[in-house]
Amino acid sequence: MKFVKSLDLVAMTLILILAAIACGPPSPTPTAVSAPAGKASPTAGGPALEGGKLIYGLTLTPSGIDPHVNASSELGIPLTSVYDTLVWQDLDGEFVPGLAKSWEVSDDGLTYTFHLRDDVVFHDGTPFNAQAVKFNLDRIADPATKSQKAVFMLGPYRSTEIVDDYTVKVHFKEPYAPFLDSLSQVYLGMASPTAVEKWGADYQLHQVGTGPFMMKEYIPKDHLTLVRNPNYNWAPTIFNHQGPAYLEEIEFRFFVEPATRALALEGGEADVMGEIPPHDAERLAKDPAFTLVPVAIPGQSLQFFLNTEKPPTDDLRVRQAINYAADKEAIVKAIFKEYSPVAHGPLNAFTMGYDESVVGMYEYDPAKAKALLEEAGWVDSDGDGIREKDGQSLKLEAYLMGWGYVPEVAQLLQAQLRAVGIEMESQVVAYPAALEAARKGKHNLIPFGLSSSDPDILRTFFHSSNADSGFNWSKVRDPRLDELLESGARTLDPDRRKELYAEAQQLIMAEALILPIRDYVNLNAAGAKVKGLRYDLRGWFPWLYDVYLEE
Amino acid sequence: MLRFIGKRLLASIPVLWGVTTLVFLAIHLLPGDPAELMLAESGGSAESIAYLRTQLGLDDPLYVQYGRFLLNTLRGDLGRSIFTNRPVLQTILEQLPSTIELALAAMLMAVVLGTGLGILAALNHNSWLDNICMAIAVAGVSVPIFWSGLLLILLFSSTLHWLPATGQGGLRHLLMPAAVLGFASSGTIARLVRSGLLEVLQKEYITTARAKGLSERLIFYRHALKNALIPVITVVGLQFGFLLGGAVVTETVFSRQGIGRLIVDAILWKDFPLVQGGVLLAAVTYTLVNLLVDISYAFADPRIRHDEL
Repeated sequence: MKFVKSLDLVAMTLILILAAIACGPPSPTPTAVSAPAGKASPTAGGPALEGGKLIYGLTLTPSGIDPHVNASSELGIPLTSVYDTLVWQDLDGEFVPGLAKSWEVSDDGLTYTFHLRDDVVFHDGTPFNAQAVKFNLDRIADPATKSQKAVFMLGPYRSTEIVDDYTVKVHFKEPYAPFLDSLSQVYLGMASPTAVEKWGADYQLHQVGTGPFMMKEYIPKDHLTLVRNPNYNWAPTIFNHQGPAYLEEIEFRFFVEPATRALALEGGEADVMGEIPPHDAERLAKDPAFTLVPVAIPGQSLQFFLNTEKPPTDDLRVRQAINYAADKEAIVKAIFKEYSPVAHGPLNAFTMGYDESVVGMYEYDPAKAKALLEEAGWVDSDGDGIREKDGQSLKLEAYLMGWGYVPEVAQLLQAQLRAVGIEMESQVVAYPAALEAARKGKHNLIPFGLSSSDPDILRTFFHSSNADSGFNWSKVRDPRLDELLESGARTLDPDRRKELYAEAQQLIMAEALILPIRDYVNLNAAGAKVKGLRYDLRGWFPWLYDVYLEE
Repeated sequence: MLRFIGKRLLASIPVLWGVTTLVFLAIHLLPGDPAELMLAESGGSAESIAYLRTQLGLDDPLYVQYGRFLLNTLRGDLGRSIFTNRPVLQTILEQLPSTIELALAAMLMAVVLGTGLGILAALNHNSWLDNICMAIAVAGVSVPIFWSGLLLILLFSSTLHWLPATGQGGLRHLLMPAAVLGFASSGTIARLVRSGLLEVLQKEYITTARAKGLSERLIFYRHALKNALIPVITVVGLQFGFLLGGAVVTETVFSRQGIGRLIVDAILWKDFPLVQGGVLLAAVTYTLVNLLVDISYAFADPRIRHDEL
């Protein structure tokens, strides 16, 4: 009897683990990608009204929400309203003053001088000044912080020098073009040094910034509540008003299961909801009680990496054939409806530095795909519809993650590839297992797509130093590509940068290192009473400061 | 009785050690690397992955990590979550009340519904009512929780607007998740009560009771039902493990807090300390519940006296 129960215990444990693996990963944020929103809000309304409480639905429960420490995109949705940044980026991509009134970059690109506002206080009364800036940047760079994102956004950071109370110089080891972009994001937001020191590891539950909303309460996996900062008087020009925010309170709740999101909105349990499934979005769009707010998210397109080190995708002609054989229009139309544009390259169309010349490089052309395969020696000799060469059949192995409609995309792709004589065997695996398979190069195809507002993201995925460990899943080792990506990160002149990244994108597509599918559009929806809802250039982060409720 | 409890508690130590070791091995042997997972969200380089691995102590050999885990656990220190850097024990204790609330409410539903169906079926043996009751029981066992959950949300939240679809706080939020989870568990209980009753009703002492001229009602409640319920107690204990497992799905569908979701997320993100701590606590809970079940036999059936075991 006792023995049996012990066994049950073990079994339960294993079942829990197995069940978890089978369930697949929690749609992790690396969905990603594409196009900035129109500048006018689709929820524009009459004159703004003060007060009221907004309930905002988040789609995954972040493991940690300290922007200096954690990496999730989800944390930025609430916390963009809690923290101010030294600079902000408007919807045209221009950098505008934030907590810094102005700034200069030295000629060698190694030093940024920031002149700070002298009228700003943190929510806890701590004054904002040069010491606070140094404290924040040093905290991010400190290995003890174990930063998962911010430290890498800080790049080759050397130190911060306090010139006077309201002037700082930030020094770099080498020129670093993405710095202002990094600085304008919540991950490099300015936190109260007093609060950080007071709370230590629990700081994430008691975060203190200078933003228009203050953190009131965070119960992990349940809710996060912000209240209006009555003293806020330093709004950047990107916003439509000055002074305190309109809303009294914002409560963020978690709606992890995609099928419940539209239901919660319709049941009145949330006023705004992100990542609505496309078929639910179609329904909400027709309902006058709701406004659909699709927001394009810049960064990578959803793309399959084609492994250049594993046969048969080690042959350029096979990789090109895959690109010609895929009918992306049909895939996007069937799965993402009219909301997502078809992707043509490694960056989506609305990322800074996107190069248009990739459009049309691979129009859907099954005949051309067949010709390329034949040229490469792949012919269907036994009449089973799949091509062979030297007794080997033309078979691809795809490792899929369960999120972002990847399995559905793969299913359509499988049929399209089969039509030109390629067999694709796919398996949906848990997220950690997918990453491991990709690192070890077990795949011919594996999908990914990460949001990013800077083209430097390409370095992560195509630089040879990331081929053995890291995210270069095409396993490409091309000295010219390395050179382009390295100088892209170092070059401060925007036009020159554009040229470098244009060549990189053309090279990536000429080598057919990826199969791009779609540009990522986040389908948000809001109740009709929600007015003034806009998202920043990165697409993920709402500007809730300007939002108000109309009854 | 005290000696029995002491012996059982001692016996549970190797069980807990076995479970934690197995989980430690399983989570470390499964593919995946926390540093890689963390940086997949931000697009880190190979260099930054290596940097993070060192910071997190993941470069140490497995036996060093295991030794560290074992020593710390003995000292009562479950460590800190890799992702949040917050103490594991605190993280779990924050989530535990919600799961206990759900499990107890579901258990109550399961027992009431299961016993009710079982009695109804047994009393109307081989009739259409019996068939309906058993059909419901089979549905309970076989309908997946996520499906029945979504169906209830569709009906009671979306269409009728009677109950909130998600979140927690109060009875209104608890009703649907507990019903879904309880329904799933009630099927087993219903079948057991039915077969137990049918068996007991054939017993000679029931015939004797009838011969004495006792009323059918008295026979049923005093003689039949009480005896038929003993195996049910065992199953209720075992079902507790099922409820903990089912809580994972229920908590996800209804967006509730809870330890089920916490551990599953931790497994998916390979947050080693959180998985180990969570499973250890689940194992402790399960062991204790089973001990309680064994103790409760003594009350249900005076013939069972643990001191003689």
